[in-house]
Amino acid sequence: MSDRILIVEDDAEIAAAVAREVEALGCAPVHRDTLESGIAEAAAGDYRVIVLDRMLPGGDGVEGMARIRAGGSRALILILSALGRAANRVEGLEKGADDYLPKPFETEELRARLRALLRRGTMQVLDNDLMAFGELEIRLRARTVHVGRAHVAVSPKEFELLTYFARNAGQVVTRMQLLENVWNLHFDPGTNVVDVHVGRLRRKLEDAGSQAIQTARGEGYVFAPLPPAGA
Amino acid sequence: MPGAALPERPADERPIRARVTLRLAAVMAAGAALLSLLAMGLQYRLVDLRMTEAQRTLLAADLDGLAALYEQRRIIALREAIDYRSATSGGEEMFLLLDRGGEVLAGTLPSWPEGLDAQGQGFTVDPAREILVNGQPWLVVARNLPGGFPLLVGRSLAPVDQTLAALRHGMLGLLVAIALAAAGMGWLAARQVMGRIGRLNDLADRVAAGDLDARLPGPRSPDEFGLLETHVHQMLDRIANLNRATHRLSDTIAHEMRTPLNRMLGRLERIEGQEEVVNEARAEMRQAIRVFDSLLDISRAEADQGTGGGLVPVDLSQVAGEMWELYEAPAEEKGLIPRAEIAPGLRVLGDRNLIAQMVANLLDNAIKYCAPGDSLTLTLVAADRHVLRVADTGPGLPDGMGEEAFERFTRAERDRARGIKGHGLGLALVRAIALRHGARLSLPRTDRGLTVEIAWPRAPA
Repeated sequence: MSDRILIVEDDAEIAAAVAREVEALGCAPVHRDTLESGIAEAAAGDYRVIVLDRMLPGGDGVEGMARIRAGGSRALILILSALGRAANRVEGLEKGADDYLPKPFETEELRARLRALLRRGTMQVLDNDLMAFGELEIRLRARTVHVGRAHVAVSPKEFELLTYFARNAGQVVTRMQLLENVWNLHFDPGTNVVDVHVGRLRRKLEDAGSQAIQTARGEGYVFAPLPPAGA
Repeated sequence: MPGAALPERPADERPIRARVTLRLAAVMAAGAALLSLLAMGLQYRLVDLRMTEAQRTLLAADLDGLAALYEQRRIIALREAIDYRSATSGGEEMFLLLDRGGEVLAGTLPSWPEGLDAQGQGFTVDPAREILVNGQPWLVVARNLPGGFPLLVGRSLAPVDQTLAALRHGMLGLLVAIALAAAGMGWLAARQVMGRIGRLNDLADRVAAGDLDARLPGPRSPDEFGLLETHVHQMLDRIANLNRATHRLSDTIAHEMRTPLNRMLGRLERIEGQEEVVNEARAEMRQAIRVFDSLLDISRAEADQGTGGGLVPVDLSQVAGEMWELYEAPAEEKGLIPRAEIAPGLRVLGDRNLIAQMVANLLDNAIKYCAPGDSLTLTLVAADRHVLRVADTGPGLPDGMGEEAFERFTRAERDRARGIKGHGLGLALVRAIALRHGARLSLPRTDRGLTVEIAWPRAPA
């Protein structure tokens, strides 16, 4: 049975675009266009993810989140809103959203966010110190990285960056996601700061013989430590 | 100094209130005391005149009686009468009659008072004189009767002096009582007034601290204070309405602009085979949104300026450190010489996100303008205020450009010429965020490059 994703969005065209992405991920979209009907539907159906607009007929989606939770829904909430300034994003996340994507969004960005949320829903917390991807090994407690037998010296931030990649292995990770999750920043710094940091980490891994980090066409990077033949 | 800081509030208001109250009390006391002193002085003078006049009338009557006797039997009659009066006198009358040789014929005195000359011969009361005999004041008439008989007739002024002394005592007591009462009333009146003003000041403080919805409880009284409170409330209502309207407007603008942009972006993605054009269009869109967000961020930060609302304790050292970590690598990549000195654990009241954005803008700006080989330094030191400084050895501001660099859309001509992109909003946002935090922004003079210094108020411990 495919996962169900609820879309609460009053703009029909955007809702259709989101629905297309949901279907591309193999999930079943359900669309509601007011806050009240969205909250009712969230309580009625068993949803994995709710894509929630903010300025909806009937009120602000961020204010509706508490009622969605109170209705018993355990869905992860992605706010998708035109209120896209850093202050708005921080507000939404502080009030309990699991992710916040400002409009206008690019489809790759939305897809990456939805995938990350779907994965988060299924990811089992492994009481495991070791994350191993073929030759590449990350030891979480000791905070060390090895490729084969070679130790790779990384800075604390680079280690966080690498573990974030590793947790989303195989998926496209966008620059905006990295800024939000690794640096906890919710504004667009404009220049290529993220690229510089990823580039450095990538060179260190490549020097040790790992091609784990690849540039994804368009919006970001993908951590693909295993050769595609294995897939 | 670029960017005015918040006006400093008086460290403590109580001394001010006490001073005003005391001053009013003292003025009331002094005023009342002066007025009553004037009134009592007039009264005192009147009593003095009337009582002296009464003694004078008595003296005139004595003289008339003696004159009648003298008319009948001359000195002999006078002598008998004086003997009789002296025997019955209560000590408030004075008589003395001498013979030609200066011997006492009759009287209440043993001898003629020294230094007193007899004037005239008649029995009129004028001229009369005031003299001291044995320390007591007397009103006397001294005459040389025909044939060489000196006559002295007097009335004691001691009762007048005693009455006046008693009056003086009473007046002094009354004066003290009036002054005390006036001071008390002044104190009470000032207390009342200052209490009403204090309520308004407390309200203003609460509003300044960010609570725009703060209002005075209870009904307004039907007096000038009530009117003042009503006016203040009306002003606050208006400010709150404007503030709400600003926030609503920026949300509405965001919605009305970003929603169509979203549709445009969706359609752009469906165009195939012209990747370069599509990517350029996307980049332009993103840039437009950045400009637009910066403008909204600036006006929002300016609208919230001076209100402490929404600010929480933030570890400034930590935020500065994180942003340095983010920008050090790009600076190195560009060939700059980056260096940071960040004193640990410095806390301010702030918005972490805004502070991060501000430091990012400063560092990003410096990296954009500097050339390989330039140095870039971030320092944070604890002082009177925590001072955050971003210094570079790049081209600095163009000649003649100072604080205008912090105005919106200010860009140097040479940047346009060099093809450095930007909209001149970075530093404007930096200033708006500094003001939002009550921090002082300045551009210290340097030999080379640009130094921006931000002095933060410390977080209360």
